[in-house]
Amino acid sequence: MNRGLNRFAIFVACATFFLIIAGALVTSNDAGLATPDWPLSNGQVFPKMVGNLFWEHGHRMVATTVGILTIVLMFYILFKEKRSWVKKLGVFALLAVVAQGLLGGLTVKLMLPLAVSSAHATLAQLFFCTTVSLAVFTSRSWIEARPLTEEKGNLPLRYICTGALVTIFLQLILGATLRHSATWDRHLPVELILAHIGGAVAVTLMLGSASLSILRRHPESRFLTRPAIIALALLVIQLGLGIAAYMTRLASPNDPQPLNPMISITVAHVACGALVFVTTIVLTLRTYRVLPASETFLQDYRMGQDLHVNPE
Amino acid sequence: MNKQTKVWLVLSIALSLLVLATACGGGGTNKEATPGTTASDAGTAPPSGPTGTISGVISYNGTPPAPKKIDTTADPVCGQKSPNLSTDDTLVKDGKLANTFVYIKDGTVDGGKKISEYNWPTPTESVKLDQNGCHYAPHVLGIMVNQKISITNSDATQHNIHPTPKLNPEWNQTQSNGAPPIEKTFGRAEVLIPVKCNQHPWMKAYIGVLKHPLYAVSAADGTFTIPKVPPGKYTIVAWREGQQPEEATMEVTVTANGTAKADFAFPKAGAATSSTKPSLQMMPAIEFPMMGKH
Repeated sequence: MNRGLNRFAIFVACATFFLIIAGALVTSNDAGLATPDWPLSNGQVFPKMVGNLFWEHGHRMVATTVGILTIVLMFYILFKEKRSWVKKLGVFALLAVVAQGLLGGLTVKLMLPLAVSSAHATLAQLFFCTTVSLAVFTSRSWIEARPLTEEKGNLPLRYICTGALVTIFLQLILGATLRHSATWDRHLPVELILAHIGGAVAVTLMLGSASLSILRRHPESRFLTRPAIIALALLVIQLGLGIAAYMTRLASPNDPQPLNPMISITVAHVACGALVFVTTIVLTLRTYRVLPASETFLQDYRMGQDLHVNPE
Repeated sequence: MNKQTKVWLVLSIALSLLVLATACGGGGTNKEATPGTTASDAGTAPPSGPTGTISGVISYNGTPPAPKKIDTTADPVCGQKSPNLSTDDTLVKDGKLANTFVYIKDGTVDGGKKISEYNWPTPTESVKLDQNGCHYAPHVLGIMVNQKISITNSDATQHNIHPTPKLNPEWNQTQSNGAPPIEKTFGRAEVLIPVKCNQHPWMKAYIGVLKHPLYAVSAADGTFTIPKVPPGKYTIVAWREGQQPEEATMEVTVTANGTAKADFAFPKAGAATSSTKPSLQMMPAIEFPMMGKH
């Protein structure tokens, strides 16, 4: 275990979180097209950052920094890490950040088409997920974790957590699409709002049951209960932020320009959503690390497979 | 190199090439409008002979919403030049509404032809749109299809002009202080095209693009005049921005050398504004159509 590598991976993950906030500020300030060119801003590397150009060019500068940090992280991993799959994940992180940069350029050049902007916002979350995973895999707690002897339920926690993770990711895609479907001066499409509310209910059920199952089945394992408690707390905050974001966004079309509290609350909602996602990733990875798939479940599953193949 | 690595490599290169091609092409910002119908196209020349006029007043019922103060401090130039800028979506003076776009939408010219079947010549003079004090002037304007619009920047800061049409190509172009005017055309009729500046998101303007010159924008006292209208029966539309844009239509009959009166009133009955109660508030009678004198 290399402590320096782990600290640097954590630093890159934090920088990525800051980048997500910077990107959310661009959308909430309607600054995505403050400059029509890319990669330069108004033909300059360092333009005068006034008006909305502050947000758009600021986002580009933070993104460039994160890109450089990811390159350094990849080489750090390639030289110091022994596990080949971690090395591959380091290379994947670099590819993801490059693709993310290109998607950012593409959405500017194509004048923010919904599909490209939403893909840019979704890939941002996946990249964040990758950097957080690298921080997890290089941590002492991950390397030194001792597997628990058995699952204490019929349905393995790893599958419950994976279900929650997939639900959150789908909800993030919905949220990204909703956010980019209308600028601050237009009303958001009702069908997407309803879908996002439905997604929130699904996430609450899935993540709630995953976290509560962990707390009930393995209260002695801080390795599992800590992310479960954090995920639950973040979920509650996120639901509150979602309601507040909706209320402020409802009123924003009557404002003369994007204003607070709409900007700060919607950005906080995006940031908290990213935190819910990565906390669930940590939770899920840890269940895979220390919990075996339930033998009972596997037996039942195999029996079901046999019955399916051989009904007699 | 294994198969998975190859797939990633090909995908990355493909995406890179796509973005570079788009970036180098510059097509996103300088798209020219698709040519539409012009005077040189085959079609009927506008009817000659005596014409009439449509004139009227746009009234505002009730108390208009108070203008909202705009925070211009994000750009020091805007903050110094326009420290007290406020919204101008509902400019009312003595109960009369400015910046209402009035135009002939449809109708039949005496003799039986539809107004849309005529081809008016495209004016050679351009229409001006200036950015002054981080504010578009005029706020609402009309031009004809393929007529040039000349956009200038009178501010010591950069702006970007970004029309967001539905029928015409969208473009977004930066204009720094001292840069030559940006001249553009719109190839298709479209009422109205919102224009915004993404650097200063409070900046908004609206452009009405029509195949004919039969339109007007109400002045500060709410009056408007559409001259040189061929005699006939028409549907005219008045569009106003407001916090929620709304339209009103009216049938008018124009006679040779006569003036048809077309007064409009906003908000329309049942339309709620921030300053009027949501209960139905009846609009005063609209005067129409008054026949012009021969």
